[in-house]
Formats: sequence, structure tokens, C-alpha cells
Amino acid sequence: MITVRNLSYAFKIGKKEKENIVPVLHHVDLQVAEGEIVAIVGRSGSGKSTLLNLISGFIKSQTGDITIDGQQVSKLSESKWAEFRLEHLGFIFQSFQLIPSMTAFENVELPLVLKGVSEKERKDQTMKMLKKVGLEKYQSHYPGELSGGQQQRVSIARALILNPPLILADEPTGSLDSENEKELLNFIKELNEKDGITFLIITHDHEVASIAHRKVEIRDGYLREGSKLHEVQR
Amino acid sequence: MKFKDKHRFVRSNMKRNKTRVWMTILASTMGCAFLIMLASVGFAIHKTAVDDVMSYRLMNEIEIQNDNGPLVEEDVKKLQDIKNVKAVSRKKYVPASEMTLGEYTVYAEVNSVNMPSERKAGLQLEKGRMPKSKNEIIIGHHFAQELRKEMPENFTEGMSDEEAQKEMKKFAYDGDLLNQTLTYHMKVDNPDIKTETQIKTVQVKVVGIKEKPKKEWMTDSSVMITDDLHSEIMPLLTEIDPELKNSDDSYTSVRVYTSSAEDVKEVSEKIKDKGYLTYSVVSELKELNIYFTLFKAGLIFIGAIAVLIASIGIFNTMTMAVTERSQDIGIMKAIGATPKTIKRIFLLESGYIGLWGVGLGTILAYLISYGINFALPIIVEQFMNEKPPEDFILSYIPWSLTVIAVTICMSVTLLSGWRPAAKATTVDVLKALRRDV
Ligand SMILES: Nc1ncnc2c1ncn2[C@@H]1O[C@H](COP(=O)(O)OP(=O)(O)OP(=O)(O)O)[C@@H](O)[C@H]1O
Ligand SMILES: [Mg+2]
Repeated sequence: MITVRNLSYAFKIGKKEKENIVPVLHHVDLQVAEGEIVAIVGRSGSGKSTLLNLISGFIKSQTGDITIDGQQVSKLSESKWAEFRLEHLGFIFQSFQLIPSMTAFENVELPLVLKGVSEKERKDQTMKMLKKVGLEKYQSHYPGELSGGQQQRVSIARALILNPPLILADEPTGSLDSENEKELLNFIKELNEKDGITFLIITHDHEVASIAHRKVEIRDGYLREGSKLHEVQR
Repeated sequence: MKFKDKHRFVRSNMKRNKTRVWMTILASTMGCAFLIMLASVGFAIHKTAVDDVMSYRLMNEIEIQNDNGPLVEEDVKKLQDIKNVKAVSRKKYVPASEMTLGEYTVYAEVNSVNMPSERKAGLQLEKGRMPKSKNEIIIGHHFAQELRKEMPENFTEGMSDEEAQKEMKKFAYDGDLLNQTLTYHMKVDNPDIKTETQIKTVQVKVVGIKEKPKKEWMTDSSVMITDDLHSEIMPLLTEIDPELKNSDDSYTSVRVYTSSAEDVKEVSEKIKDKGYLTYSVVSELKELNIYFTLFKAGLIFIGAIAVLIASIGIFNTMTMAVTERSQDIGIMKAIGATPKTIKRIFLLESGYIGLWGVGLGTILAYLISYGINFALPIIVEQFMNEKPPEDFILSYIPWSLTVIAVTICMSVTLLSGWRPAAKATTVDVLKALRRDV
């Protein structure tokens, strides 16, 4: 599903004359198979988010090579990248990233709107998805009127609405209490087992790593394959 | 993303900042209305000038003169031979003006004309027909009101112009003059000549009455007689004033009529080649149009500056909208909105602001224009005690001006919305997600 080859990244800091280069990732190689849940762990500042942002296309590297779902994405133009993201990738963020001026329904519907799906079809699919995450009663609530757990479920519904084969999550449980966290992890596991969705999850805690099939660790910008945790169930 | 969804999206965004959006629309409205109003004055003056020129003359008319003396029959023959000349109208002034009907008398301008040529040149009759025989005449529309009974001496003294005209009407002939027979007195206008002998008279019959002149203030009380009658009465008049002999066969006015206005230029050239002087509405209009087109362009340019100032408002509003919404933009980009979609959304928003501004501005301009044209004559009459010229307009908005103004306003609007929209596409996703934009 994901193949990362020889990926390096360095941040440039400061103005042109006094530019400082901060290397963050060094020659990273990573393979994620279809149907896998892979957890990325590592200390704070080790470069986990940077790796995920490169795979998401939010930042671009001059070196290395990324292939997702058979598409070599590292060479894509910005708008082609956007189209690819819409169709193939779902995102779950630590801070939910819902649009505050839109209702839960509208937030979930957004990818369908961007894709140009007809209004009637959008309504059906969105309602179905809201039901799936148990929020059909809250469809007209704004993010500010929802609890953290509910907001995260809205953001998951949004990530799932276009049936992407791969979901990228940067500390998805970071803002949740332990109960909501458990619920979310179970949901991820369910999605993986039932729908075969591949997950790449950044996490600090061991709970999250416990549902992963595999764990990779980033230490000072170098990636180390961790031990296999579970067999992938097909 | 479908247009309908973009529209909905933009609408809800605009609603969130109603006051700001409306203030911006107001500025565009004022800019657009100012542009149209300012230019409309130029258009009105141009129109008045053109209408004025055209009200005296026909478009296919060329007036002919000769450097050395008046034109004669030989010249007319030459003019008639030119291609695309439909008719040559020629007039000879008849120096006898007194006509009577019973106790009514008139002193009219009498010309002899070639009747078939007049007909071809486009002479329109209100009533009656063209003369067929020698003693038949055509009279102007206002002839009857100049045909008056004798008024008491110093009758109009001490009266205002208006009163005098009203009072004089009471003495005018108020019946139908068609088919009436008038007595034409063979008296010469020249005051130096005193006639001792008995004045001869000729009976003439009114067979046609000319159309009313196009302008309210123009009066036509002239008389047209036939060439044949002219040949008959000139000897009688030369008996009284021998000097008239010299001007017997010269025309006082010669006008060439072309088949259509398009031929005027070519025919004029040919006539000039034959050594005559020409004057036509077409040539005058050409100069007039060049002058006024420049004038109007200048006004539009000044008006466009107002639009430009208004567009700064749009630029500001859109820049603020982009800044305010950069988090939303970042989230949308992260999910998969293309830069093109983002750009279109913001261009659409500035386009709507511009469209509202242009729409309201145009409506406002039409209202003001209508109001001014309606109110100005009243104001002039109230404060200056004078009637403004008939058909006077201060503001005229032809559809072409509307098109020009809408084009200018919309282009300026889109141009000013362009940069903010382009800026929206460059919003950094990560910064937006981290909420530090
Ligand atoms: N925009 C940036 N400009 C410059 N340096 C950056 C930027 N973002 C991150 N870094 C640096 O890159 C390194 C890796 O950051 P990254 O966010 O990938 O860490 P992380 O592993 O996700 O940490 P955490 O677990 O705290 O989220 C850090 O040292 C950080 O200082
Ligand atoms: Mg991180």
C-alpha cells in the first residue's frame, strides 16, 4: 500500500542569507502492506509527524520516493496531489480539524462536495456515515457544540466518506480521554478487519500500539523496524 | 466541486460578514453609478448635438454652393448626371410675398421649385397632393396662422411676447386652406420702389400642405410655387423692378439627395471634383462624432478612477476574508481541495460583490438619470423663469454605455479579487492545521 524509499528531509529555517538547515529524516525506507495497521512510535521531536506529512503530501521532499496504492506520489503537482488525497487518503488529526462554521453534517459531507457528488446522493451517504459513527442525532450541531469524542467521530466519518483504502492518523487519541480512546481504537480495529482499510498511525502510547500489526520506531530521524505485534487477519 | 456548491459555499461565507460585504458592495455601487452618471452627461450632450444637426437636414442631403456666383440650370444638369444622385432640389426665391384670401393677408416666403424633384427628394405632405398644373401651390404647416385680418394700429404694444402671440392668433385664419384659392399680389419686396400703376394679381390654388417641422419651435409658413408660374410672374415683377432681370435664372439653394446615406461620401467627392463646394450632415457628424467620442472617453476614464477606488475596498475585503478563513482553507486543502477550487471560490465571492455593485450601481444610475432629466426642466423653470430647450436632457444612458460600464466594473472587480484569491491557494496546510496563520 505504501512504499517509502530513501526519503530524507530537512527543514530550512531563517531568512535567505542566514539560512539554517535542520535535517529531520535520514534515508527512510518503509513498506506498509494492504490491510496492515502500522504504528509509528518515537520520542517527541524525532520526526514522526514529518514523515507522515511527507506521505500526506503536505510537505515535499527533493530526495527519495513515495508510492501509495500503486501511484508514485512524490512527483505529483500540487493539484494532482490534492485530487489523489481526496480519493485515496483519509485523515484523522489529533485536534480533529473540523471547519467550525459548518455543521457535523456539512463537515462529513465536504469531501463529497469537493468530488462533485450530486446533492441527493451526498445526503444519503452522509447520513449513513453519521449513523455508522453514532452521530445521526447531532448532524446539525456545530463542532463547538460537540464533545471531543464526538468531534473525533465526525472527523473519522469525514475521513471514511469516500471509502479511502488508506487512513493516516497523527496521534488520533491525543486529545481524548481513556474511554473515548478505547472506543476509537476498537473502531479502527473494526474498520481494518471488516473493510480492510490500511492504517498508518503515529502514537505515543502503548494502547494504540497494541492494536497495530506492526510497530516502527523513529529515532533521531532514522527509522527502525520494530517487532511484529500481530498477524494481519484477512 | 460543482458550481452550485461553490455558490452555496460563497453565499454562506458572505452571510457571515454581512456588514463588511454590504459596505464593499455599497462602495462598488457608488463607483459604478458615478461612472455611468458622469459618462451619461457626455452621451447626452453628444446625442443632443447629433439630434440637433439631424433635425435640420436629412442624412442623404448634400448642400451645393459655387465659389463664383449662384448656380444655374446648367449646374443642376451636371449634378443630376452623377451616379447615385436621387434628386436635385433647387429653389428660386420669388421677391413677391403678399397673398390674400378675402380680408386675410399674409407675407410669406415664396420659392419656386421643381415639383417632381421635391417629391423625389422626400418632401412629405400632411394633406393634399403635389401640384399638377401651373397655378397650384403648396404651403407650409404654419401658413394659416400667419394669414391674418388687419390688426388695429400698435395693437401689440405693451404686451408680453406670449400675450401678443395669443392675441394675434385671434386674428388668424382658422379654417382649412386646402383647395382654397388665394390672390397673389405682384408687389415687389424692395421698399425703394413705389408702384404707381395698378398692381397685377395672380390666382393660386392650395393643393397641398407640408408636414409640421420636426422641432416644436420651428415654424414653416413658406410657399412653394411651380417653375411654370415662376416663368409667368417674373416678367411682371421685372416690369416693376428691372434689377430683378439679372437674378432671374439663378437658384438660391441647390441640394442633392443621394439614394442612401452611405452614398453621401462618394457623391460629395464627385461633386467636389466638379468644382463645387459641398456641405452634408454626414461630413459634419463625422467631425462631431470624433470630438464627442474623445470627450466621452475622457469622462469614462475619470469615472473609471472611482471604480478603481471602490475596487480597493473589494481587495481589502477579500484579503481579510482569505486571512480569516485560512484555517478552513488549510483543512479543505488537506482533505483534497485543489488550488483551482480554492481560487474559484474566492474569485466567485469577489465576483458576486462586483455583480451586486454593478447591478445596484446601474439601477441607481438609471434612477438618478431619469430623475435629473425629469427634475431639471422644472428647476430651470422655477429659478430662471425660462423654459429649457425642448428635448433637453442632461443625462443619457444608451445600452452601449451600460455595457462599457459593466465591463469596466467587472474587470476591475475581478482584477482586484485576483490577488487575494491567488493568496488563498498558497495557504500552507501545516501552518493552517497548527492554527498559526
Ligand atoms: N515547520 C518546521 N520548521 C522547522 N523545524 C521543524 C518544523 N516542524 C518540525 N520541525 C522540527 O523537526 C523535528 C521533527 O518534528 P516532528 O513534528 O516531526 O516531531 P514528532 O516526532 O512529530 O514530535 P511529537 O511527538 O512531539 O509530535 C523537530 O526537531 C522540530 O523542531
Ligand atoms: Mg508530531
